[in-house]
Amino acid sequence: MTADLYRKIEVSKNDVVNIATFKDSKILDEGALDELNVELVRLINDRAGIELLLDFHNVEFMSSAMLGLLGKIHRKVGGLKGKLKMCSIRPQIYEVFKLTNLNKLFSIHKDEAEALAAFAK
Amino acid sequence: MNAPAATSSAGASPDESTAQSRRSVDVLIAEDSRIQAKMLERSLLTAGHTVRWAINGAEALSMVRERRPAIIVSDIEMPEMTGYELCSAIKKDPALRTIPLILLSTLADPLDIIRGLDAGADNYVTKPYEATYLLARMDALLDTPLDASDDAGGVVLEVGLAGQKFRVKAGRQQVLNLLVSTFENAVTKNKELIVTNQALSVAKDQLQHTNTELTQLNEKIEHSNKRMVRDLKAAAKVQQSLLPALAITIPSATVAWRYVPCQELAGDFLNVFSLDSEHVGLFVVDVSGHGVPSSLLAVTIGAFLSSKVSDSSLLVRPGKEGGPPVVVGPAEVATQLNRLFQADEQAGLYFTFIYGVLHTPTGHLRFVSGGHPPLAHMSREGRIQLIECESFPIGYVPDIEYEEHLLELKPGDRIYLYSDGVPEAMNEALDQMGNERMTATIEAARSQSLETGVVALLDAVQAWCQPKGPLDDVSILGIEWTG
Repeated sequence: MTADLYRKIEVSKNDVVNIATFKDSKILDEGALDELNVELVRLINDRAGIELLLDFHNVEFMSSAMLGLLGKIHRKVGGLKGKLKMCSIRPQIYEVFKLTNLNKLFSIHKDEAEALAAFAK
Repeated sequence: MNAPAATSSAGASPDESTAQSRRSVDVLIAEDSRIQAKMLERSLLTAGHTVRWAINGAEALSMVRERRPAIIVSDIEMPEMTGYELCSAIKKDPALRTIPLILLSTLADPLDIIRGLDAGADNYVTKPYEATYLLARMDALLDTPLDASDDAGGVVLEVGLAGQKFRVKAGRQQVLNLLVSTFENAVTKNKELIVTNQALSVAKDQLQHTNTELTQLNEKIEHSNKRMVRDLKAAAKVQQSLLPALAITIPSATVAWRYVPCQELAGDFLNVFSLDSEHVGLFVVDVSGHGVPSSLLAVTIGAFLSSKVSDSSLLVRPGKEGGPPVVVGPAEVATQLNRLFQADEQAGLYFTFIYGVLHTPTGHLRFVSGGHPPLAHMSREGRIQLIECESFPIGYVPDIEYEEHLLELKPGDRIYLYSDGVPEAMNEALDQMGNERMTATIEAARSQSLETGVVALLDAVQAWCQPKGPLDDVSILGIEWTG
């Protein structure tokens, strides 16, 4: 069932935290972004107080348009009074965040364990 | 046919015969293919016959000698002993030669008939065959039993086929049977051919019809495609017409710029203009994504960032009580833009932006950045500095204030504004050009004109992206304060 709903992300759950791991190593074209958008919105499903962790460990390349999607998810989760965190971002991807200063807007953690610990605080 | 009067079902057409044969006889099958043997066996058993199965000619011969069957149905190609060899052996044996033998031929070669005749076969059926057809042939053979004395030893006939002459030994009854079966076979095959031909004719009509439809569809697609390309080109022209003149002149400054969209329409936009007699405005905008939505937003932003004094311009406001127009500070421009263009209202599109206001008498450049790549400042001596501003892209975070930065230029200083298509230009291995290569290229052109420097930077980006060319829009805007 989940295989049909999610092709671009792998979804798992740790206690209350929903973990979405990006499957693709390259997120470059608009089509991939559209699919990601649909799947992330489906996962969030307007659940108030949702706790969502985005795991980037597979991602090697990412277009700056992806930041637009992350901003949208950030605002959506914020609007639901939820928490959004990101983890396992490779240095070259982190540069994209730094260049636009969004590393300061998002809550970014070294790895999944550290991010999950931060949710628990 | 010599059908006995008592058997009413023996019509002229074998197609009408039923699967139930008129008599039950002992049939021997010689067939090396297990599947074909099983299929044949099932048909024969259904027809009420008893069946034995030999895997090749040699086994069949020993089974015939062990117990004489009423009729033999034999494949031709078999290991150890072929159907022809089996047939010859049966027909040479005076004790066995009256057993009728049907060869199952694929009829790949017309000479098969001659070979069958020569081997003494009574009949042949071509594969693939209908079970009813084979049963009808069997019945016909069993109705006309070979007389043991019939042409015993046979007569030698000379036959010509496919340009070859054959001397064939065959009995009269055998020749007659084969002749009839050949004719029947031809009639059956002819019927099949007619049916196939009709089907082919129908298929051909359908194909022609489908082909016509495809051609029409193709024409439609081509037509829409041409229209879309035309529209895109027209839209690109509109977008480009909003760019500044290439040979723009500004007091106390020289300007050079290049703008290369990666598709027809760009998400980038740049402009440079006089705001009043002492102020020059310049900006580079980079909307996330490419194509029509991004470029529409870029053009819209460009309209708000107009030097025309009006209430809709974010840059110059009409003066109060008839006073001179007021140049709006860059930070306030960014804050206003952020208020106007929240990404959620712009289909998720956000943009980075750098806007500067140069006071031409003093060389003071006040500027603001909204998540844009750093401004490059090169002194007259060639020292280069990238000035980063910590700020979010426009439209990303609602209701935030942007911060103004001040750069005091000395005569001969140059600044470069550019979109991320420059430092983030990717080659085939997805390696980026990077800040160091970019600044090195800017520095290398210090002793040349600003125009040459800007073109050199664009050339460097395009060379870096060879062989496929840039995947992102490229905007470069350079200004030198002459003092």
